[in-house]
Amino acid sequence: MTPKRSMVENEPSQRKAVDDFDRVTERLLRGFASRTSRRSMLSVIGAFLAGGSAFPLLPVARASEGSPPEIKDDPPQTTGNPQDPGDPSTCEYWRYCGMNGSLCTCYGGTTSTCPPGTEMSQVTWIGTCHNPADNRDYIISYNDCCGGVAGGRCQCERNEGDRGVVRPTKDNEIVWCFGTQSQSYTCTTAIILGTAAASKR
Amino acid sequence: MTSLDVCRRVAISEVTSPACHFTLMDDRHSIVRLLKVAWLSCRPRPCAKQLRGSLRMHACTAHLTLVLVSAVLSTMVEASEEFPTPLPSEPIPSVATLPEHYPATWAFLDYSGNRFELRNVGSDAHEVKGELPARDATAALLIANHRQEIYLADTVWSRTNYGTRTDFIDIYDPKTLNVTGEIVLPTPRGLMSPREGTFTFTDSQRMALVFNFTPASSITVVDLVGRKVLGKIDVPGCSLAYPTGERGFTTLCQSGTAMTVQLDAHGKPVARSESVVFNAVDTDPLLTASALIGKIRYFPTMLGHVRPIDFGPNEAKILPEWSLVTPEDASEHWAPGGWQVSATDDRLLYVLMHPDAREGSQKIPSPEVWVFDVTAQKRVARVRLVRPGVSVAVTPAPEPMLLVQTQTGLDVYNASSGAWLRTLALPGLNTRMLIYPLH
Repeated sequence: MTPKRSMVENEPSQRKAVDDFDRVTERLLRGFASRTSRRSMLSVIGAFLAGGSAFPLLPVARASEGSPPEIKDDPPQTTGNPQDPGDPSTCEYWRYCGMNGSLCTCYGGTTSTCPPGTEMSQVTWIGTCHNPADNRDYIISYNDCCGGVAGGRCQCERNEGDRGVVRPTKDNEIVWCFGTQSQSYTCTTAIILGTAAASKR
Repeated sequence: MTSLDVCRRVAISEVTSPACHFTLMDDRHSIVRLLKVAWLSCRPRPCAKQLRGSLRMHACTAHLTLVLVSAVLSTMVEASEEFPTPLPSEPIPSVATLPEHYPATWAFLDYSGNRFELRNVGSDAHEVKGELPARDATAALLIANHRQEIYLADTVWSRTNYGTRTDFIDIYDPKTLNVTGEIVLPTPRGLMSPREGTFTFTDSQRMALVFNFTPASSITVVDLVGRKVLGKIDVPGCSLAYPTGERGFTTLCQSGTAMTVQLDAHGKPVARSESVVFNAVDTDPLLTASALIGKIRYFPTMLGHVRPIDFGPNEAKILPEWSLVTPEDASEHWAPGGWQVSATDDRLLYVLMHPDAREGSQKIPSPEVWVFDVTAQKRVARVRLVRPGVSVAVTPAPEPMLLVQTQTGLDVYNASSGAWLRTLALPGLNTRMLIYPLH
């Protein structure tokens, strides 16, 4: 392979261009030097330095200082009633013993209300859960909320009392959206129907 | 060459003609030479008088930059010399196709509400071969081996989460995964977590049965060849459908019995029969995740028994129950745990098992798979999983693989030895899945 000629070894025409560039540049620099005093140059540089140091003090700069804030889990929820203890946004909450689904407390609802924009199914499965605060057993109705957005947040599965689809009223795998305009599942509530007889446990 | 000549060339000509750098790129020594040029432009001494201050610094900066760019580009040029032939042009459009018969190492994985993914679980490359869409979390799949079709029962609403509900069966070509037909179902399907018995074949795969739950129970009979609905059969108080006899099905009832319905060629019921009570629905119910060996289904129960039911005759025959756990196992409270808890290689029964069973633990992930000889009714192997499993399946012979869905992926084992082979990531899976091996 023949190496190409280096541009360092210039042609005469390029040498002329170099001379022209040399001349023009020299003229510009000399003109700039004759019009500018050292003192004025210092003042311009000083102004830039002073102005530049003020930029970090502006609010827009302070927002990005340091490490970004930590993304934390949602804070715990509470019913505010000591007889109804626990965090209803976690699976350990006492009413969720037969739960299988997404907790409505994470979607804008509560343990006993569906989130806005959804509709509560009237037909559902039930379980019997023990309230550690008053030491009573309660019949809990797990009514599904239907027609909203199923986001997959706060999934909870405990399955106590679940007996499968052959006993539908004790099956928590069915989408219990019946009698509602939409059968699209959103989340599940845990509503107290009443106390259970002691023999139920 | 005088020092002034060098200065001029260094400071000006190279800057005004950066292309020269690129013409030098194929010269093996060009980078060295350009570095020399740049060094000259940065060196103050020879040019101190002719080129002062800022002009010299501009030239220096410009050169260093150009040398850097040239170095990168020259690397690319040298790389192309290693591949003198360019890549061939590629046709547009181009869509992949699949073989007519899928290899035994492939399986469909149900992502529950997201998609059905066809994967080669026998490959360390973790190949995804294709996907079928699932519009609802309850969608169910049927893979025919009597004709080149895959059926997917699904449900949609006209406005995604509300509006007109449509239940339907999509028919797919397994070679292209294109929809080749559709059957609209007049009765709403039962919407529940994917499981066996919600969508199944009968009549040598000519008919399909769809379990409906509104919450009244019924079965829709579909002619898959004629692509039309034949009718609906009410099964009050009963759930699911298992193919039975030549043309019929059996459904499991709340009373603890099994009811068999025989059909005529038009899908109409011609005979019904009900078994004795055998299913302790409230205390030790059958887990509706059975393993089919020959014509007999083996149903594990919640407390660790197994109930065989022979679906070969025109009336389901309930066979004697036997235990999965020995008295020693019972002292550690071993019981089935997971979702798709049992599987088979058409010979042995595989069951996901967990110790310390308690009320509500029947769906928790299990740390072991126990393997049973169903004829001898004895455990023949015990596979300690690398991580707890939720669903289990076995690919067909000759080299069966044990597939175990975990909460993070799919672990693949040698079904014969129990040795772990590989783990597949399952991106997007946020719940349990059904695994469909290609038996």
